[in-house]
This record gives sequence, C-alpha cells and structure tokens, in this order.
Amino acid sequence: MRKKAVAVLLAGVMTFGLAAASLTGCGSDSSEGGTENVRLMVWSPQNDQSRDSGEWLQTMCGNFAEDHPEWNITFVYGVADEASAAGQVSQDPEASADVFMYANDTLTTMTDANALAKFGGKYREEIESTNSQEVLDSLIMDGDLYGVPFTTNTWFMYYDKSVFSEEDVKNLDTMLEKGVVSFPFVNSWYLPAFYIGNGCTLFGDGTDESAGVDFSGEKAVDVTNYLIDLKSNPNFRIDDLGSGIAGLRDGSINAMFTGSWDANAIEEILGDNMGVAALPTFTLNGEEKQMMAYAGSKAIGVNPNSKNMVAAIELAVYLGSAEAQRAHYELCGTIPCNTELLADESISSDAVVSAQNDTFNRTSILQPFVSKMSNCWTPVENMGKGIRNGSITHDNAEEQTEGMNDAMNSDGI
Amino acid sequence: MGILKKKVNEFPTPYTCTRAIREGGLETKLSMVLMGFGNMVHGQRIKGLLYLAIEVAYVVFMIVNGIGFLGMLPSLGSVPQEEYWDEAAQVYMYTKGDQSILILLYGVATVLLTVLMILAWRGALRSAYKAECLEKEGRHVNNFAEDLKTLLHENLHRLLMTPPVFFIFAFTVLPLVFMICMAFTNYSKIDNHLMLFDWVGLENFKALFDSSSILGSTFWSVLGWTLIWAFFATFSNYIFGMIISLLINRKGTRAKGFWRFCFVLSCAVPMFVSLLIMRTMLQPEGAITGNVNNFNVIYLLSGGDPVTDLASTAGKTDLLVTWLYKLTIDKQYYNIGAVIGILTFVILAIGALFTYHNSKSYKEEGGF
Amino acid sequence: MAGKKMHSAKRKRFINNTIVHVVLAILAVIWVFPIVWVILTSFRAEKGSYVSTFLPQSFTLDNYVKLFTDTTILNFPQMFLNTLFIAVCSCILSTFYVLAVSYCLSRLRFKMRKPYMNMAMILGLFPGFMSMIAVYFILKALGMTEGNLIKLALILVYSGGAALSFQIAKGFFDTIPIAVDEAALLDGCTRWQIFTRITLPLSKPIVIYTTLTSFMAPWLDFIFAKVICRANSDQYTIAIGLWKMLEKEYIDSWYTSFAAGAVLISIPIAALFLYMQRYYVDGLSGAVKG
Repeated sequence: MRKKAVAVLLAGVMTFGLAAASLTGCGSDSSEGGTENVRLMVWSPQNDQSRDSGEWLQTMCGNFAEDHPEWNITFVYGVADEASAAGQVSQDPEASADVFMYANDTLTTMTDANALAKFGGKYREEIESTNSQEVLDSLIMDGDLYGVPFTTNTWFMYYDKSVFSEEDVKNLDTMLEKGVVSFPFVNSWYLPAFYIGNGCTLFGDGTDESAGVDFSGEKAVDVTNYLIDLKSNPNFRIDDLGSGIAGLRDGSINAMFTGSWDANAIEEILGDNMGVAALPTFTLNGEEKQMMAYAGSKAIGVNPNSKNMVAAIELAVYLGSAEAQRAHYELCGTIPCNTELLADESISSDAVVSAQNDTFNRTSILQPFVSKMSNCWTPVENMGKGIRNGSITHDNAEEQTEGMNDAMNSDGI
Repeated sequence: MGILKKKVNEFPTPYTCTRAIREGGLETKLSMVLMGFGNMVHGQRIKGLLYLAIEVAYVVFMIVNGIGFLGMLPSLGSVPQEEYWDEAAQVYMYTKGDQSILILLYGVATVLLTVLMILAWRGALRSAYKAECLEKEGRHVNNFAEDLKTLLHENLHRLLMTPPVFFIFAFTVLPLVFMICMAFTNYSKIDNHLMLFDWVGLENFKALFDSSSILGSTFWSVLGWTLIWAFFATFSNYIFGMIISLLINRKGTRAKGFWRFCFVLSCAVPMFVSLLIMRTMLQPEGAITGNVNNFNVIYLLSGGDPVTDLASTAGKTDLLVTWLYKLTIDKQYYNIGAVIGILTFVILAIGALFTYHNSKSYKEEGGF
Repeated sequence: MAGKKMHSAKRKRFINNTIVHVVLAILAVIWVFPIVWVILTSFRAEKGSYVSTFLPQSFTLDNYVKLFTDTTILNFPQMFLNTLFIAVCSCILSTFYVLAVSYCLSRLRFKMRKPYMNMAMILGLFPGFMSMIAVYFILKALGMTEGNLIKLALILVYSGGAALSFQIAKGFFDTIPIAVDEAALLDGCTRWQIFTRITLPLSKPIVIYTTLTSFMAPWLDFIFAKVICRANSDQYTIAIGLWKMLEKEYIDSWYTSFAAGAVLISIPIAALFLYMQRYYVDGLSGAVKG
C-alpha cells in the first residue's frame, strides 16, 4: 500500500520546490538614511579579475563605489568572457549579471532573449561624445544604442621584419614571393576577407537583413579560384589550431594573421623584429584588391532585469570611460577605443594599437550582427575545408561558390 | 513485439480502486473527498494524516500556484517585455514579460504533479478499503510502526526504489516530457520565438518529412549515415575486440599482460581528452566547437574531413547526435531539435525493445 | 621422420608467433602513440599548441607546477577540489541507487518491476543534452543554482540518472544462487538484512565497479557543468577548466599545462580500467563460453 510513498515524496518536494520558486521572485532593497543598498552583479573575463593583471575590475568597481557615496554597493563578481557572455546571459537573463561584457556580434542573441538594455539620454550622449561613429555603429541596432564600447575587436597581420619590408607587406602576393605566410584558411571569421575584398556583401551595408548575402556571381567565383591557387602556393601555409604561431616560433613561417590576444606571445618570439600591419591587398586577375576583415567591438552591457537600473547604467558607463580604458590598457593590454585615449601619444605609439586601429578604420567592414548572420559561418568554413581537402577545384569552383551563397542565405530548414 | 500481448496481472489483489468505490463503506467513500479518512477511522491514524497532508499540500499548491501554471499552459504566455523611458533618471526601464519556457516547464511539472496526486488518491482509496475489509474480517490492521517495518521486508522495494525513482522523475522524466512538448511549439531562433512561443501542432514534423526541404533531406541522410555508422562501429568493434582477445590469449603469445595493458590503456584516456588531442595532434580540423560526442571516431573514420555538402547544416559524416547538438545549442532551433530527438528516440527505442525482448536473457529471466 | 615433422611444426609455430607479435606490436604502437604524445607534451618546455617535432626539444616539470600554482587565471587546485568533492558525494549516492535498484530488480518481484526495466532502457536512449536547459530551470526552481548549492546541484545531476543503468549490477546479483537467500529467509532474516548482510558482502567486485564508474562522471562531463555553473568560476570543475585552456586567449600559453591536466585526470581513470581489467576479461571469456 505504500506505493504512494514515492508519490508522497515527489509531491511534497516538488510542491515545496515550485512554491519556493514563486517566492524567490520578490526581493526588496531597504534604504536607510541617505544611502541606498545596491547589489550589483558584474561579469567579466577572468583575465580582468586576476591578480596578475592588477584586478582591474575590482579596482574600477571600488573607484566607482567611492564616486557614489549615495549608494552602499555590494559587488558580486562572476566570470564570463565576451564571447560566451551572450550565451550565459540569454540562458537565464533574470539570474544573470546586472553589468557584463560582450562581443558586439552577439548583440542579437541577447536582444532576442530580452537580455540587453538600451542606453539613452545623457548617458548616450556621453558615450557618443567619446567614441568614433564606426565603433558606435557596431552597437547600434534600429537606432538604439546597446552598450558602452571599451575596445575594438578585429584581426590583422603580424610579420617578421627581417623577412619583409614595410613595402612588401602591402600586398599578399608580394609577400608570398619573399617568405612564408600563414592564414587561418578554415576559419570563417577570417576567410571572407578575400570575398568582401572583391565586392561581395553581407546584408547590404551590414544592417539590412532583407538584403541577404551576396557571395555569388563572377566576383565570388574569381575569389574561390584565387583561394584554390593560394592554397597550392608553396609559400602558403594554412594556420589551424595554433600551427601559425608554432611556425613563427620555429622559424618556418614569417607572417601570420591573428588579433591582439596573441601580441604578447608573438613579441616574445620575434622580439624587435615583430612587425604589425593592417591587412594587405591581394592581386586578383591583375587588379589590386584590399582584404577586408570583420571588425566589431567589445562592449559593456546592462541587463534589463536589473533591479538598480540607474546604478547599473552608471557603472557600465564608468567601466567604459577613458579612465577605466586607460587602466585596462595598462593592466591587461586591452586596446582602448576612446577617441581621447587614441589621440594620446603614449598609447598611439604602440604598434599593435595602431595596427588594430588602422585595420578597424581602413581594412575592415563592420561585422554584421543581424540574426541571419548565424547562417554565414558554417558554409564559409566548409568552403575553406573543401579547398583544403581538394574537393573544391577550378572545375567545380563556380558551382560550389553558388552552393555556399545559397547556404549563407538559408536557415537550413 | 510481445510487449502488449500478454497482459496478465501477476500481482492480483482484492483491494482495487473500483471495488473500493463500488463496495466500500461510507468511510471509504468519504476518503474519495477527504484522503486518509478511512485509514483514520480504522485506527491507522498517522497514515491517514499523511494522506490528508498530501491532499492539503496539493490543494494549497494548486490554489497558490498550480492553477495559474495550468491556466497559462494553453497560451504559453503572451505578455512581451515592455520598455519605457524614465526621463528623471535618464534610463530605460523594463517590465518583466512572460517567458514561455518557464510557463511550459512549470505547466508540465504541475501536470506531472497532478498525475502523481491521482496515483496517491487511488492509493489512499485502496488503503482505506483494505483497512475496512481487514477490520470487517476481524483481521489485524497494521499500525504505522508495523507499516514501517514492512518496508524492510515484504515492501523493501518501496524503500529502496523510492529515492532513485524520485530523482529519475525529477531529472530525467520531467525534462524529457518538457522536451517532447517543445517539438509541438515554434520555440526557435527563427522569427525570434525564444522568449514567447506558441503551440503549432505538427508543423515541425511536417517540415521534417517534407523531403524537398533542406531540413528533411538532411535529416534522412544523417539518419542513414548514423545507422550505417552504428552498425559498422558496433560490428567492427566486436569483431576487432574478439580478434585481439584471441590473439592475446592464444597459447604462443608472450607477455600477455603487457599487450592487454596497452589495449586497456588506450581505452582509459577520457573520451574528451583524446578528442581534443586528436584534433590538435592530427592537425587538419577546424575550430573547437564544443562537442563531446563520437567526433573523434568520425574524424578518424572519415579521414578527418567531414564536410563537403555546403548547403546543409550538417556535414556528411555528422552523426544525429552531433547534428542535434549543433541545431539546438549552436543555432537555437529548439523545436526542430526536439522533433529530431523524438524521432531518433522512437527509432532507437523500437530497435532496442525489439532486440531486448527477443533476447534470451529477457525470456529466461521471468522466474527464479 | 618424426623428428623432422616436429621440427617443421615448431618452425610453423615460430613463424605464427612472430607474425602475431609483430601485429600486436604495431597495434600497440597505434594505441599507445597518442598517450605517449600527451605525456610528452605535458613535459614539453616549448610553449604553444602545435609543434612540428614529435619529441620535445627540452623537458620540464613546469607545466605541472603551473597547473597548481598559477591560480590567477584558472584556479586548477580549486577546480580539482570541487570535482573531487562532487565525485565522492555523487559516487556514494549513485552506488547506493544502482545497488538498491539492481537488488530489487534481481531478487524482488513487484508490480512495477517490468515497467521500470522497460522505462529505464528507453530513457537511457535519450540524448542527455537536449534536456539540459530544463534541468537547469528545475534546479533553479529548487534554488540550487547559486553559491555552494551548485555543488549539490551537480551531485544530484550526476547521481540522478544512475539508477537507470542497473544492468551490469543486476546481472551480477542474478548469478548469486537464490538458495542463499532462501536459507536466510528460513533463518528469519528480513530482506533488508539479506541485502546488507549477505548479498552486498558477496558482491564486492560489483560494488567496487559501480563505485569507480560513478566516480568518473564528474571528471569527464563538461556540458552540464557549464550550464549549471555559468559564471560562478569558484564552482568550476576540472572539465570546464581544461576546456577553457583551449580557448583562443589561453591556448598558446596553457596548452602544455592542459596536457599535464589531462594526464593527471587520466591516471585515476587508467588505474580504474587496469584494475577492472580482470572483470573485463573474465566477462569477455564468459560471453564466449555462452
């Protein structure tokens, strides 16, 4: 007769659980005297919180608390790097940080999940006054601003100055004659640089979802053919899973494409011979075409579910301010994007900073963050892999390029 | 199949629910409304009170939350998040919108709870009837201590099975039912139905069986490849293992222990470690995507290059599981993922039940 | 004549033996190669995730040292302790579940027995990650997704489904003669006493097997751990840590330490496998005998 024991227990615990769930929803901030108790959860990459890099986040939050005696702030720190923050936050916005850092290409992931608050009024004006229009554009959707930018995010070229001259690095094909160049051929964040360089477009100017992707026609097929030749060039290496930096280390590779996160490692390898430059051009059918990287930004976002909206917005703006960006650069090497700081001699003299900015301003397009952009990664990666394993050749280049274009324009359903 | 063929009740009992309702006395019938009443009348006070407590807990839960949860289930919520501009503070403020996924989960949990409640209700009724009958026949009615004692002997299975089954329900069955429900909704990144979604009936299944859609054709080719893979992998593993063990165990082989050691060692490295290593060591694979399935096996089998079909979401050698992972976690097509999950599950379940029921062990294992 | 025949038979056997040994040696190299490679990498002094030479240019213990001392970016010791704690608790729970359920299914007859067995088999077929989000929200509803309760949540998740894989233990219990139970029943033992005092002591190998297999799960899973831990880095388990080391920011400087970590967690698992080898082999030969 005690088959019900199972049922009893289940019912009991589940009842309790669900009841508890419905109760946890309510919380209240008590305020006493002039100060208001505020609890702010902040997520950032581990690097920003580690002792090695001077606990940037904790220091900045401490300064912020001092600046705002009207709030009695308790900070709760969590770890989520810019790339994965979107996933973490949108999994459960309600139980996520009030203030977090995200990469701008994940913007729609979060807006789709109602997990990103807009900036407006005086705060927006403040952000707009200290950032270039390009950087702001990377965070504006339908006219609304969704974050405080604190760095740009793109990739550029590192090379060995003893092999290439400053003149050489302006053209990829010239470089290939003088030394060995590696490129992340099967990574779809890098490979489109050639297609975009020859006039292929993504969603019109990058924001018009209905315009779709145009990686078709002669302009795209030409690039596919160029890539097939590039792959078989004896001085070309495919950079995959760290083979580029390893080649740089053992001297078998003289130039590679990556971002600022590898700057320290490469400086260690090349020392004074480290050269950094924006993307080179490539010679397609006798014409010079400029490689165009995807560029984006990393920004500080605010959770719409935050219980202390004003404090959260203020903190986000502070963490993206010139003061915080300078500390970020000095402690963690994060390249600033604040226009005042970029004009500062001590910062602009850094080769990596200038290469990244040069790339951002001149040899990149804003990486589209419309939802359909998520369909664009796998087909390009498959194109790279197809060329690598030899299944895409000059004979079927046209057909395969059209296939890629179709796939980029499809939800796969 | 033999599952439904012979439904002989192996455990007959005179104290059934129907008989309780039909033949039970007033106190038993009253137990229908007031659970445990019959038990209390017949001296099983604690047991009766426990039943009553369950009923009270359930009713309270339903009034406080449950009815609300159930009421939301048909619509799955419709209030979107609203924003308004707070001029004084210069910030946008947001109201909380409905979150369909939670509505669905809580709804399903409430339904499950109700099912359990019905079981408890039936139990209470049977128990009351049994107590009534026993007392009428002048036999001993167990008190609570005696009831507890039976848990160590004739009802040992209740004691031992309850905690595991409870956790299976909470962490396997409930999520599973929830997931099955997703297959009938438009919960997907497409058209932004991640926060608010609706029931769509069999729409998703139609898309899958429509072989002109990319999804349909991808599904069948992936399914085909999975079956082939599963067949050969199992088969070759088995044959290979047999050959190896024969080789090692044959009379002339020296250093048996050493060979065995090598072989076992290769199985001992955790799957995901060997996967990561394979990828970096053998070089030709792409970025790390976060997949811990049988990837390495596929990569090794297919010479490390799974992609040729540019148009589909799946590579040619994707297994169903890896594809499923891509669809749900990477692309957030939860509804489609659920549909594929269900179909895979049905295929596997039919196959497994069929083999299992025809296996010697199942047929022989009936009696002692 | 007879001598010659024996001689040629010997010869043949010698050739056969040589072939077998050569084949085994080749296979052994293929099996062991990746393992040797990881171990070598874990002692490699050159940084980076990719090197063109198989043998490291120079050896060092720094990778292991770094793993346990450089805690500013990835706190490996903390992750190790978290995982150990979770593994110990969940292994106690799951062992209890598995043995209890197996015993019931093997020795007791009750109405839900066959339905349970069918259900268990079907549920076992379902891909676990599909229910991940639901599991997260269930845990959240129970208030277990913050602070140290995350450990409890992970323990419940890892042990929760344990009772579905009862087959091996049940198979073992089935081989214990039923006469033992009957004799005990005649002596007035309760079934509980039979389970704890007779069956379990007779089943040491399967108890150890169950314990060890359930001990492993928390070291290997990273999907559930990630979804449940989210941004609480102080609750991370080893698998998340190892995964993080391969992210693009860390891979170059952490790859060799990753190999060291992989070696460290492989040791207990390899030891387990080696320990279980005899049951494994016995089981196989048992299967051959039919």
